[in-house]
Amino acid sequence: MILVIGGYAQGKLEYVKEKYQTGGDDIFDFEVEDIAELERYSDGLFSDRQIILNNINSLIKKELDDGKDPEELLGNILSKFNNVIIITDEVGNGIVPIDKNERIYREKTGRFQCMLAQNADEVIRVTCGVGQRIK
Amino acid sequence: MMILVYGGSGSGKSAFAEKKITELNKSGIPLYYLATMQVYDAEDEERIKRHRMQRAGKGFTTIEQPKDLGNIALELREAKSDILLECMSNVVANEMFSDAISDPSIYDKKVSEEKSFDKYEGVFNKIKDEIIKLKDSCNNLIIVSNNVFEDGNIYDDETMKYIKTLGDINVFLAEISDEVWEVVAGIPVRIK
Repeated sequence: MILVIGGYAQGKLEYVKEKYQTGGDDIFDFEVEDIAELERYSDGLFSDRQIILNNINSLIKKELDDGKDPEELLGNILSKFNNVIIITDEVGNGIVPIDKNERIYREKTGRFQCMLAQNADEVIRVTCGVGQRIK
Repeated sequence: MMILVYGGSGSGKSAFAEKKITELNKSGIPLYYLATMQVYDAEDEERIKRHRMQRAGKGFTTIEQPKDLGNIALELREAKSDILLECMSNVVANEMFSDAISDPSIYDKKVSEEKSFDKYEGVFNKIKDEIIKLKDSCNNLIIVSNNVFEDGNIYDDETMKYIKTLGDINVFLAEISDEVWEVVAGIPVRIK
């Protein structure tokens, strides 16, 4: 698993497409798609096929809104895909929000990203479209 | 040796800072954790509980020091201890706002007054002096600070002044530190 992390609009997806020479077919974007669609898609999938999960932070937000614990996601994702690139927004670098749910989202996303990074073979941080391998 | 550890919410910066100071700490040298958070609600208590569990069994003596770091510097001078201070974002907030929070009437009075940036320069200079004292009084010092600078939001004046002051403090801390680490998704990246 490869984790790509960086701020909003930093060119993470473009970086991944160029570096890993992937088209649009295997990109799953959680800003517009949900976990059920991913599950349907992955059922018929050859497990070694490369897949890109974009905006995993949006999925975490949805899971939290549904009252679920996003940490369970990790096991699901890791068990289903051998060859996955996960792209996530860095969301913790700001003033702590007044709204409690916003605070929980930031904190949980940060912790989730730490777990992803721990399990990743490679972690790349993208700033201004430039990737820096940090693991 | 002084180290600055920097990162956002949930980045894993505390765990890294704790690991780093325990590695530096030699037997016989006292190890202090300067806790800076003022508790206002159950969520704060929960956070403190999580941090305490994370520190348990690592040999820290915890000192509650939400502000006035200069006082603790005097107390610790003789011992030449190792210190982990967490987190500078709390210290700056406490120096700027804590009397206001404990007494809302003072806060109302304050915000209704026309203020210059001078007060914040005052806080900046106070913390700067106190950090120098703290650094001189201890053996190894690790300071954890928070990245609050990249959400792109424009806040009210007080908050913007807070952000500016913390930013200035972070620049100062990095200048006088031997090492600066930024923690990203639990991964330490050395930037100085």
